[in-house]
Amino acid sequence: MAEKNTVPAPPGSPKPGSGSSRSNFDLLGFISTYGVFITLVACIVIFSVLDSDFIEIDNLRTQLGLAAPLLMLSLGLTVVLAMGDFDLSIAGTLSACAAAIVVLIVNHDWPWGLAVLVGVAFGLGIGAINGLLVSYVEMPSFITTLATFLILLGVEYMISDGRNITGAADMPDLYRDLGIGKPEPFTEFTSPVWIAAGLAIILWLLMSKTELGRYMYAIGGNPEAARLSGINVKALRALGFVIVGFVAVIAAVSQTARTASSIPRVGISLLLSAYAAAFLGAAASRQGLFNVPGTVLGVIFLQAVQSGLTILGYDRDILDISRGSILVLAMLLTALGARRR
Amino acid sequence: MTATAPAEAAPLLEVSGITKRYPGVLAVDDVTVSLGSGEIVGLVGKNGAGKSTLIKIIAGAERADEGHLQLNSEPLDLHRPHDATVAGLAFVHQDLQDVGDLSVAENVMMGLGYPRRLGLFVDWAELRRQAAESIARLEAEIDPRQLVGKLSVAQQRLVMIARGLAQQARLLVLDEPSASLTDEEIEHLFAVVRRLRDDGITVVYVSHRLEEIFELTERVIVMRNGQLVADEPTSSLDRGSLITHITGHEHAQTAAERRASRGVGGRPETDVVLEVDGVSADTGVHDCSFDVRKGEILGVGGLMGSGRTEMVRAVFGADHRREGTVQVHGQEIKDNHPSGSMSAGLALLPEDRKTQGNIMDFSVRSNITLASLDRHRVRPKAPVPSPRSEKQAADRRIDRLSIATPHDRQLVRLLSGGNQQKVVIAKWLEQGADVLIFDEPTIGVDVDGKEEIYDIMEELAAEGKAVVFISSEFSELVGVCHRVLVLHEGRIVGELEGDAVSEPAIVEICYSQH
Repeated sequence: MAEKNTVPAPPGSPKPGSGSSRSNFDLLGFISTYGVFITLVACIVIFSVLDSDFIEIDNLRTQLGLAAPLLMLSLGLTVVLAMGDFDLSIAGTLSACAAAIVVLIVNHDWPWGLAVLVGVAFGLGIGAINGLLVSYVEMPSFITTLATFLILLGVEYMISDGRNITGAADMPDLYRDLGIGKPEPFTEFTSPVWIAAGLAIILWLLMSKTELGRYMYAIGGNPEAARLSGINVKALRALGFVIVGFVAVIAAVSQTARTASSIPRVGISLLLSAYAAAFLGAAASRQGLFNVPGTVLGVIFLQAVQSGLTILGYDRDILDISRGSILVLAMLLTALGARRR
Repeated sequence: MTATAPAEAAPLLEVSGITKRYPGVLAVDDVTVSLGSGEIVGLVGKNGAGKSTLIKIIAGAERADEGHLQLNSEPLDLHRPHDATVAGLAFVHQDLQDVGDLSVAENVMMGLGYPRRLGLFVDWAELRRQAAESIARLEAEIDPRQLVGKLSVAQQRLVMIARGLAQQARLLVLDEPSASLTDEEIEHLFAVVRRLRDDGITVVYVSHRLEEIFELTERVIVMRNGQLVADEPTSSLDRGSLITHITGHEHAQTAAERRASRGVGGRPETDVVLEVDGVSADTGVHDCSFDVRKGEILGVGGLMGSGRTEMVRAVFGADHRREGTVQVHGQEIKDNHPSGSMSAGLALLPEDRKTQGNIMDFSVRSNITLASLDRHRVRPKAPVPSPRSEKQAADRRIDRLSIATPHDRQLVRLLSGGNQQKVVIAKWLEQGADVLIFDEPTIGVDVDGKEEIYDIMEELAAEGKAVVFISSEFSELVGVCHRVLVLHEGRIVGELEGDAVSEPAIVEICYSQH
């Protein structure tokens, strides 16, 4: 049995060195704990100094609107990641639902409410299938959801023929409002921002305040110990995938209502950013756990960098390199912190 | 140039004034000791006494704050584990550090540079030959081509010892090497250790099982609170004096004496709480039937692989029950899974606290309340845990079980083994089960910790709970249990009660089955 050196000495035993090491400011520890915050603040300051447009309220509004679908996806992923699973199909669900809803409304003149309902049923169905395969059939989540992701991309292609479908004129105003409207009395931001914020609050309450959330983290920590403690591990893991499916549809609605179109494979570009945001969020937490506030921070971070570099006139290549570098940096800080623990 | 000191007087390894501090803890406190060539030295002490830290320093995995090491009178400066390997120091850790997906030969020769052809391609035949040579010295029947993951735990330990031999080790440190080994395998291990000693290799044997220390070692080093408190020939010690060294207080009692002094007798005349009838499972459990009464402690013994763990897992529903019924308070448990058994009042404290008992990255508090969260709600109908209620419950259990933790938010990962085990116990006490099944609760727990766990089981029984206690150390069963079931190949083959419970009687049943 290994002695654990972090257990404090029993009372009365000598405590050498506790005086001197306490008084020194632990810079590395501070950086590893707050590294993501520090880098975010630094980025915001630098961008603001270089171009004052960056901190204009209009830019903030625009950027939050752009970031809303990404935030929704990232929040969904946070739930499955906390339980130790991956879901890659989320991008496929988003793409296929976006295409289906737009085609139903624009080409087939369906009432938008019905089209959205079909989308929600579709998303929940995909989530249930993923959950069934991963949780009950016990297939590995990474490869299983990669497979459903590929299938969904094919489905999307079948629906859209691989073309952009646009139809601002054919879309009811009420549907467009879900993407660009500013609901009374909250006219500061567009609907997707409010929807994403609501989703964040609900999932934050779920993950950090309820029994269900505690059980989900227990599953992520040790599924067998959780099962032997009487937690229904299979049902909760499956529920995670269903939540992801639902969230993907909400994101699809926000996206298509904002752009009044469906763009093929729209989800793919969001997929990697969503994972980056969730991992940034985990890096920002003290214990390295996936968590909702962290994910929100991660999304804001990624969007701030994208906006700042765009305003400064950098191209896509620099954008991608920067985002990748930020992720490496955040992980580096976390790893340094973990090594000291 | 006349009288030279005898060879045995020149120590192999000298440890001088080694001190190691961690924040808030003096892990190793000015330890000086020397190890001669070709001796078997026992290293004992409670969890947290500093044994592992001292070993890590000798292994080059940790740097000492003060003091130095000498090998054959030459200063030994270790910066990383590889330096220790080169110096001829080999370590076999309790948690095996082999690679299951590689062959025995690859594992044995790992870190030595595989033999090559044309300077590029691994010469597999030569690799196997060299590995087989090391294995042959252990008189073990292990095919070098076999995958290590397919070997038994005992064979895997031998593979790790063979690696040390292949590295030309002069000092071999074995950390709890007998854990999960059968008696026969332990005998073979001892024979191996003695042969290595005869070849001039120094063996440091770390164990909590004092019988093994007395049987195998020639000298015993005892550590307590980071200090070396005894360094004596084994022959000058008896069990009582060794325990006194380890714990720092008088504490000598054999299992039979404990049984007598506690007045452990036959099963109480009370109602049956747990009734198991004809349980079978695909894990090798055949037609097991028994019952446990209120206030009774039922022991389950048997050799390694006799199906003790498998039987209680089937009873609890952790593994699927193919046949048979389980009743608690006369009510049959219909749901064949853990949550069903729990709501009926059954609890299983699993064998491996790290992989099955605790969520290691959860706090002490969250682990304690995990199985009873629905009783710590802010409002009875709202499934939201109340931090205040949780904290009260956790603090109460921490206090009652004397769990050594600075506060209830400490991560369980950071506690010692015995305290991690107490957190598992606390979780099930908090859950309020009527029947508690303890599967090997004292593995890796030191002398004092074991006694505390026996006390907890006795208190639970006194409160009217039914307790099932599984142990591979028969003396534990003798010291605590009213009645003992003996298993063999997944069947109950013997039952002892009251005065009939004794170590020889249990051993007799185990071995009369062959």
